[in-house]
Amino acid sequence: MGKFKLFWKNNGIGYLFLTPWLIGILTLTAIPMGASLYFSFTSYDMFNAPTWVGLDNYLSLFSDAKWLQSVKVTLIYVLLGVPFQLAFALFIAVILNKGIGGLRVYRAVYYVPSLFGGSVAIAILWRQIFGGNGLVNNILGKFGFEGINWISTPDTALYTLIILMIWQFGASMVIFLAGLKQVPVELYESAKIDGAGSLKQFFQITLPLITPVVFFNLVMGIIGAFQAFTPAYIVSGGTGGPLNSTLFYTLYLYQKGFTQFAMGYASAMAWILLIVIAFATAIVFATSKKWVYYQG
Amino acid sequence: METSSKEMVKTNSRSKQKREIKKLAIHSFVIALGIVMLYPLIWMVSSSFKQPAEIFNSVSFFPSDWTLENYTQGWAGVSGYTFGLFFGNTLLIVVLAIIGNVIACSMAAYAFAKLDFKFKPIFFTLMLMTLMLPFHVTVIPQYIMFNYLDWINTYYPLILPKFFAVEGFFVFLMVQFIRGIPNELVQAAEIDGCGRIKTYWYLILPLSVPALVTTMIFTFIWTWNDFFGQLLYISDLKLYTVALGLRMFLDSAGESAWGPMFAMSTLSLIPLFGVFIFFQKYLIEGITTGGLKG
Amino acid sequence: MKRSLLLFTMITLAFLLLLGCSSNEDDSNNESSDGGSEEQIEISFSWWGDTGRHEKYNEIIDLFEEAHPTIKVDRQFGGWGDYWDRLTTQVSGGNAPDVVSMHQFYVSDYARRGALHVLNDKVESGELDLSDYPEAALDSGKVGDDIVMVAKGITMPGFVYNTAVFDELGVDYPQSDWTWDDFVDKAYEIKEAIGEDGWAIEDGSGGQLQPLFRYFARQHGQDLFTEEGKLGFEEQVLTDWWTMWDQMRQDGVIPDAATSNEYDGLPLEANMFATKKVALLGLPANQMYLYEEQMAEGEINIVRDPHIDGGPNGEYIEGAYLSITEASPHKEAAAEFIEFFVSNEEAVKIFKTEQGPPAGTEASNTVIEELTPPEKRAVEYIQTTVDLSEPAPYAPEGVNELETLFSDNAEAIAFGQKSVEQAVADFMNEAKSILGE
Repeated sequence: MGKFKLFWKNNGIGYLFLTPWLIGILTLTAIPMGASLYFSFTSYDMFNAPTWVGLDNYLSLFSDAKWLQSVKVTLIYVLLGVPFQLAFALFIAVILNKGIGGLRVYRAVYYVPSLFGGSVAIAILWRQIFGGNGLVNNILGKFGFEGINWISTPDTALYTLIILMIWQFGASMVIFLAGLKQVPVELYESAKIDGAGSLKQFFQITLPLITPVVFFNLVMGIIGAFQAFTPAYIVSGGTGGPLNSTLFYTLYLYQKGFTQFAMGYASAMAWILLIVIAFATAIVFATSKKWVYYQG
Repeated sequence: METSSKEMVKTNSRSKQKREIKKLAIHSFVIALGIVMLYPLIWMVSSSFKQPAEIFNSVSFFPSDWTLENYTQGWAGVSGYTFGLFFGNTLLIVVLAIIGNVIACSMAAYAFAKLDFKFKPIFFTLMLMTLMLPFHVTVIPQYIMFNYLDWINTYYPLILPKFFAVEGFFVFLMVQFIRGIPNELVQAAEIDGCGRIKTYWYLILPLSVPALVTTMIFTFIWTWNDFFGQLLYISDLKLYTVALGLRMFLDSAGESAWGPMFAMSTLSLIPLFGVFIFFQKYLIEGITTGGLKG
Repeated sequence: MKRSLLLFTMITLAFLLLLGCSSNEDDSNNESSDGGSEEQIEISFSWWGDTGRHEKYNEIIDLFEEAHPTIKVDRQFGGWGDYWDRLTTQVSGGNAPDVVSMHQFYVSDYARRGALHVLNDKVESGELDLSDYPEAALDSGKVGDDIVMVAKGITMPGFVYNTAVFDELGVDYPQSDWTWDDFVDKAYEIKEAIGEDGWAIEDGSGGQLQPLFRYFARQHGQDLFTEEGKLGFEEQVLTDWWTMWDQMRQDGVIPDAATSNEYDGLPLEANMFATKKVALLGLPANQMYLYEEQMAEGEINIVRDPHIDGGPNGEYIEGAYLSITEASPHKEAAAEFIEFFVSNEEAVKIFKTEQGPPAGTEASNTVIEELTPPEKRAVEYIQTTVDLSEPAPYAPEGVNELETLFSDNAEAIAFGQKSVEQAVADFMNEAKSILGE
């Protein structure tokens, strides 16, 4: 009893605030996650009870050429897409934060692409831009260049999806904007008195103070990009083509699970992905002590 | 005296001119980029006023023959259930989801950011891990659970989880913002006699308005657009949402109604756009961090 | 054992959860139970399709509910892709609809995993009266010896062309008894006439195993699969198939790989045939009318898929089907519903040729009087070719993996990544390992 009281005194209020989350994680999240971990060691066709196969699913992954392809595609997407999207989002956020006229309109306009989300309309829109007769080739044509079917050529298809990701930068931008608003105005004023230029202000005041938000966007960007599904699913019609050049990891996982009824295999894929993402995130977390600055 | 003041005026006007040019440059850059951002939207809106045959066969932006038929046909929905109903349903889900997310996620975030308790690092890691597992492999066990609860074909699976902070994204987001609130301020509030609950209510929440508003905007947009969950859990037309309604127009095995699809997609962007415009004011003006000296 | 333990934990926790939060959330719509009169039962029926089909099916269901006041039908529908995602989840989640729409592509996966109710007893006892179904139509719903699905509409594939387009090109119409050699000759002739602006036909080398390649294999006296679920065709057949298409691709008679990919999955209005980029199109006959509506001039006509001189027929029946799920608690009512759907006169008049003409003889006679000319043409074509058809064994488990393997390798040839020999060797090796040979 005394022990419990002490525990309660030290931890009670924390757990009180955590209660909804704890209930959620224990019921809604942990059970399905545990189930999928179990499935990953089984052969499970979704209609009949799973049968234990040990590490078979995990081992056969490494000799699956399509799996390796999906790893390659996803890594390129993460390594190129995340930094470019973040840099772009931050750049635009800083410009919009400058307080130029008509700001609200611009901000809204820049958010429009993200409103589309994974709408099916995107599939058609993207072909209108990067297709053989699309906007890009029309413009190239005006300068005398002959374009190719960007979406349908294996060498370029993935890059159109990376552009799509950068184009939908609105969410990161909004988070950056919210972060920029937490920077105390006084700091800028005193910097101005000291005669610091805007570039200097940015690197000495703005950037350090929004590092928590940069950190958040980086972590979430990495997690999100590793799990990217919708863009490839809608643009390639679910195939990951041409020639599997847009076969994202989760797209292949979906194909395995939902069209080939190999949910055990898909679950093993999912847990490998979790480990990889966790590893990548852990690296970012480990370095964060060096560059993330909390005002507290 | 005179000459120096003249010079001052001169340099002033020159730097003013310089500033004007710089401003103009920024504006034109922002506008040019804005057009790139808007191109697909413009294309979609103009398609929604085109005759079906023209949508894919004409490169022209402007419909040669304006029609509202796509809108009337789309709005009519199917079997007497109109898009008006779908909009209403979606709004209900979205509003409840926002309430759930804001309350539950901010509570958890406060605990993670400013309170101490046993196993905190483990729980935090667990929270991040929930973000890392692709949802396709948890869908089936989740469906089994909700089916046993007899929640299929209700909004429960779409709303209730939000009241239990299952969306780690928002918890983590708010953690990052609440951690940015200076500890001195929190301690000062506590010395003033505020309990932890009051601190949460009177200090943390008001100071996290940008994060809360961000959560609201994202919850609105993502719930509005989320379609896989809605597809799995809702089959009754009475309960259909906008996202499901839009999918109704497309069937790869048959004849698709692209005109009405574009028309209703356009309509469905309006609330999203409106919410964004409305809330971003709070995102920018709702808080003056002036009082927050470190 | 493990599964039941899992379920038990889930239920317990979920129950706690429900207790904990139901008070929070009284205002959400929960209309799943109507708790009305005692004899009332509810069955659910799900299908894929567009809004037009939904209207038709809703009408049919309304009629059924009128005729059977004690049965209420819960309606679920969605587009093709969504439909299968949801159905998979429902079946594995223990919440399968009682009556589901079925298709050749997926029936093996569902039937062989025990998700579909075997209807033999119901059909033999006349509880599900399909007495006026032609033998072939009934057989097409069998996996092995088990009747697992009932055709609501049947169809046959063929090559369609627009008379106006052919007239303009000055090319003679294809003949229904043409061979693959004629087919290739015709393709070169069309390409010559159409010039730089288009091609003869879409690339048919890959995509799905059915129907085109399957016809080709059957005409060689082979098939995709054997009755035992092993690979049913020899290497040479596949080599011949891919060589034929590859030659045409290299000669520019069919589009290059990137162009094919660009048009893949485009809506009907924008595809190559509707926009006159190609003059021939492989199509199930019941969809002919869609193109006649779409294209301003000319008639859409159909010819049989090409054959091999002296070889057997490739034809087998395809269609759209209805099944009862094994988990359904109301199988009698479900059977009543299916019978009503495929044979009630009023219902059939609404259905017309929505997914091909009805399979039952009487029903298809009822329907034929109410059709538009292109629909009528389609039905006549289907009736003649159905007579040529032979049974076709259904795929073994793993067919979807095989499908992907087929299209991947065909695409690799098209993009010049693999030689035909290489692709054939790769396909045969991996296919055999998928099928456990």
